[in-house]
Amino acid sequence: MNKTLFGKELKANLFVSVVIAAVLAMYVTVIVSMFDPELGESLDLMMQSMPELFAAFGMATQGATLLDFMLNYLYGFLLVLFPFVLALIMINKLVVRPIDRGSMAYLLATPNSRAKIACTLAGVVVAVLALMMVFVTVLEIGSSEALFSGDLDTVGLLQTNAGLFGLWLLMAGICFLSACLFSSAGPALWVGGGLCILSFLIQMVSQVGDKFEFLKNATPLTLFDSYGLAAGDASAIGGAVILYVAGVALFVAGVAVFGKRDLAI
Amino acid sequence: MSAVVELQNVTKDYGSGRGVFDVSMQVEKGEVFGFLGPNGAGKTVTMRNLMGFVKPGSGTASINGMDCFRDRAKIQRGLGYLPGEIAIMDEMTGHAFLEFMASMKGMRGRSRMRSLIERFELDPSRKIRKMSKGTKQKVGLVCAFMAQPAIVLLDEPTSGLDPLMQNRFVDLVLEEKERGATIMLSSHLFEEIEKTCDRVAFIRAGRIAAIERMDDVRTSRKRVFSITFASEAECGRYRAAHPKTHAIGSVVEVETTGVMDGFVKDLAGYDVVDMATREQTLEELFLHLYGAEVGGENHE
Repeated sequence: MNKTLFGKELKANLFVSVVIAAVLAMYVTVIVSMFDPELGESLDLMMQSMPELFAAFGMATQGATLLDFMLNYLYGFLLVLFPFVLALIMINKLVVRPIDRGSMAYLLATPNSRAKIACTLAGVVVAVLALMMVFVTVLEIGSSEALFSGDLDTVGLLQTNAGLFGLWLLMAGICFLSACLFSSAGPALWVGGGLCILSFLIQMVSQVGDKFEFLKNATPLTLFDSYGLAAGDASAIGGAVILYVAGVALFVAGVAVFGKRDLAI
Repeated sequence: MSAVVELQNVTKDYGSGRGVFDVSMQVEKGEVFGFLGPNGAGKTVTMRNLMGFVKPGSGTASINGMDCFRDRAKIQRGLGYLPGEIAIMDEMTGHAFLEFMASMKGMRGRSRMRSLIERFELDPSRKIRKMSKGTKQKVGLVCAFMAQPAIVLLDEPTSGLDPLMQNRFVDLVLEEKERGATIMLSSHLFEEIEKTCDRVAFIRAGRIAAIERMDDVRTSRKRVFSITFASEAECGRYRAAHPKTHAIGSVVEVETTGVMDGFVKDLAGYDVVDMATREQTLEELFLHLYGAEVGGENHE
């Protein structure tokens, strides 16, 4: 890790991170505030009127507790998609564009190894995602306590979020490896980004009806089982561990590829 | 004398004739070495090999005896580099960028950076994105020289600079040479190589056509004069005496080489309205030095 580079890139990615954080903050507080038994009934009515649509976004099993309610409305889609978008934007800015436009030449014209530079850039992505996770967790607990003191299963939430971070790592790792692997900007950004988006779409289709349920296991997203994690199921924890291992492995592979490749800069 | 920068039979083939093929050369310690060739001849590819950005397909590139690809981070400790494409981190100000690079290079003092900024009359407070091409080039030049490197690699260093700044650049190179730096610079303009370099390598279609001492090239180089005569008749009289020249209207183009005396004294016998000299183009220089065989390769 190079401190100078880390600091500069953290600052450069501050704006987009704050925007995504603000969007997530809005969703988290709105969804938490919507938890209300009576309002829940009307949401039930709405869900019954459009069951497929809600199912597609992973919002099919509205539970009785506040945590179930949050898992249903936040963890199927919003807390997966927005961090992915953030990771993709950051990786584009940190890796894809500098290689494509040639400004990476300046970084490599310093006595820092490629491995060190790639690790630092990956470190920026992971650090921002970790900060985002802390922010979301604090906000979830804070808004729950403020509105429905004592209703939230905090331990369950922390377990779920720990697993969710593994999923974020995996998605960021896919995008990072793709950025290190391809020499032109298009594939570098969209092979990784496209794989993640494809996974979302497949998961949405698989949630709609029984006909496509088998597709559920075709994407790595299925390794993140929010309800299982909240309950502390062994299989859900195992899935989360795989997400972490795969995520770290993808980042390591990206750094290794970056060290060996030809750079047309 | 010992070779500081060395390429041995380096080939990097990008397919369809692009790349460099079997390039060998040595740059001695304290030497200013020019690398001259038209656009797309392989100058930048050679620089990339030396910087360790790409790995040679075959052959070896080394600096101070270290392999350019494997030991690239170590080599960078004493090296300054100016990329051929000005692609500086846009969103920063010139000052922030130079500070960032100084810190990345582990530089202690900033006095050299300040004196270079003054020399090039650079205003580093503006965002790099808003800077003109020449101003960006100045930022790149300050960055390449500010750590007082022992070896400097410059890819088309004067592109975008106005004539005044080009001269300041030439002065800087000569000063750095005095200091003992080894400098390699590439260009497609003979003039800027001529003013600074001890030796020059001519590269063409990815191959080294020749490596010459600058003094030798200078003496064998032809000058082209465009002479405007007072009348068609006068022009005709001159052409009758010199059948190898070619004319456009009453303007005659004459190539000369070596000592000027005979040419000038002969011309004094005619009614001349105007006389202009132009430098031989790179194309003509190639043809002149190496014949049509080498000169024709570009027109495939």
